[in-house]
Amino acid sequence: MARNAKQWNTHPDQNKIEWADSRIYSDEEIFEEELEKIWKKVWIPVCHESELPEPYDFRTMTIAREPVIVCRDADNQIRAFLNVCPHRANLIERRPSGSFAEGTPSGNPKNMTCMFHAWQFDMKGRCVHISRSEEGYQDRLSTKDVGLRRLRCEVAFGGFVWVTLDDHIPHTVQEWVGSALDCILEPIDTEPLEVFHYHKAIIPSNYKLWHDTNSEFYHDFVHYHNRVTGFNDAYFARKNMTFDNGHVVVGSFEVQYDQYEGFESREALSFPTLPPNNWYMVDIFPGINYNLRGSALRVDLMTPISANEVMIEFRGLGLKQDTEEERLTRIRHHNTIWGPMGRNLHEDLLSITGQGVTMSPGTEPRHILHGRHENDTIHDEVGMRHYYDEWSRWMGRPLHNPTNRPTTRGSVAAAE
Amino acid sequence: MRKANNIAAIEAVKDTIYRSCLLMDDERWSDWLKLCDDGFYYKVTAYSPEIRKDMIYFDADHGQLSSMCDLLPKHNTDHSPLKRHAVVYTVDLDDGGTSAEAVTSFVIYQNMLDGVNSHIDAGENHLFAIGRYLDKLRMVDDAARFVSREVRLETRRLDKGTHWPL
Repeated sequence: MARNAKQWNTHPDQNKIEWADSRIYSDEEIFEEELEKIWKKVWIPVCHESELPEPYDFRTMTIAREPVIVCRDADNQIRAFLNVCPHRANLIERRPSGSFAEGTPSGNPKNMTCMFHAWQFDMKGRCVHISRSEEGYQDRLSTKDVGLRRLRCEVAFGGFVWVTLDDHIPHTVQEWVGSALDCILEPIDTEPLEVFHYHKAIIPSNYKLWHDTNSEFYHDFVHYHNRVTGFNDAYFARKNMTFDNGHVVVGSFEVQYDQYEGFESREALSFPTLPPNNWYMVDIFPGINYNLRGSALRVDLMTPISANEVMIEFRGLGLKQDTEEERLTRIRHHNTIWGPMGRNLHEDLLSITGQGVTMSPGTEPRHILHGRHENDTIHDEVGMRHYYDEWSRWMGRPLHNPTNRPTTRGSVAAAE
Repeated sequence: MRKANNIAAIEAVKDTIYRSCLLMDDERWSDWLKLCDDGFYYKVTAYSPEIRKDMIYFDADHGQLSSMCDLLPKHNTDHSPLKRHAVVYTVDLDDGGTSAEAVTSFVIYQNMLDGVNSHIDAGENHLFAIGRYLDKLRMVDDAARFVSREVRLETRRLDKGTHWPL
């Protein structure tokens, strides 16, 4: 039976079924607070080491609106800095990637140069040149006073470059991830990996809705491919496992790729030690996803833009040692499901776009159910519940009234 | 006579390319594939300045494209049609006039239907992608047939993407 407004807005009994107030996805104040309390305080895998393979190579990116640059020094050490000139706060490097080995119109080889006034910095973040320094600053300011803001940076878990804005973060990357990635550690860390695919999407939806999609598989009903290649006893026995710090692993089973017309087994190109056609999904708090399907690894990184807008970067990786033929096969396996024209990715992104419509800022609060219990197996929503327990701890906000404001329409309706 | 034959062949190549655009615009996938050889190979590529690599976003042969187009109605998809504006820039015939390579610049618009909130944006047109078709064709009688197509994209922010050939 369809419900009237009062019925629609009556809170579900939390003792019977877990739910969240949709303002966790739509409230601008909550979003701004998330950037400060979460995104500026955690480790983010901003790129892969193969994206800057040579000394003086660099990549640029953004964490919680802060511009970041990662570069490789002559000694192969990868370091990260704010991509902000200490002089007048211009962006130092505008390109997405490149090399400092050659000079730039305003600067010398092997230095980062802010083109605006030609201040230069080495790969350790030290200022090595201030244009007409003595004439302008006399002895009041020197290069030693104006180094770049260095950021903590570690390379880990399949060669990803992890960066944090928090100098005082209490964990190493290893401690932060804990054992969440143990299930795919040998496959991704036995041989060096290489990125072969990159594309990005900006979706009018909240970033957590993408993470939800990656951490609950009940949504496999949207995927024709997953229904025909899975949906057997082994599929329904897959376990959702929770780990410290809000991370979640969706356990593996053997995918029957040949049940989808035109697709083939991934067995011949399995990642090292991964059983044939197995598929693991690891969700790292607050918005990172490792997704290993047999022959290809996909890693998603979210960059929240606003309460209702998220950029998702999709990377595909194979083994660095791949032959040309192996690489082409891996790429095909990756693309047919996960590429921008892949069978599944489009369906997932359509789904969170629809959620973005119904939960955009200003829409009335809704009850988002997280209440499926199936012995922690694949369609159990334990992963989302675990994530939001962690989110509530970081934010100090309850899921049922996250704004500490009444659910306006619900209150009106309840008073009727 | 040779020159006249070449002009006719060039026009045949252009006709096949433009006809293929109309068929794809109208989502007549099997008719589009009838313009292609059995050995037809299709791929969508792009260069990423982020990872500094040439990438393949999608590739398939004739049979794979055919089965994909047959299966896609079983998938959930954005039904907002893609519409192509294409200009054939160059057609280069081989010496014998039996095969050709063509470069076509294209812009693909998405005519919004159900991709976001249809009440608000159905009927709008969004720029979906820009790039070039790099085609190889062969002459069969008086017509040109596709041997291969590389869809070379400049657009790399494809947002929700698409299930359908570009």
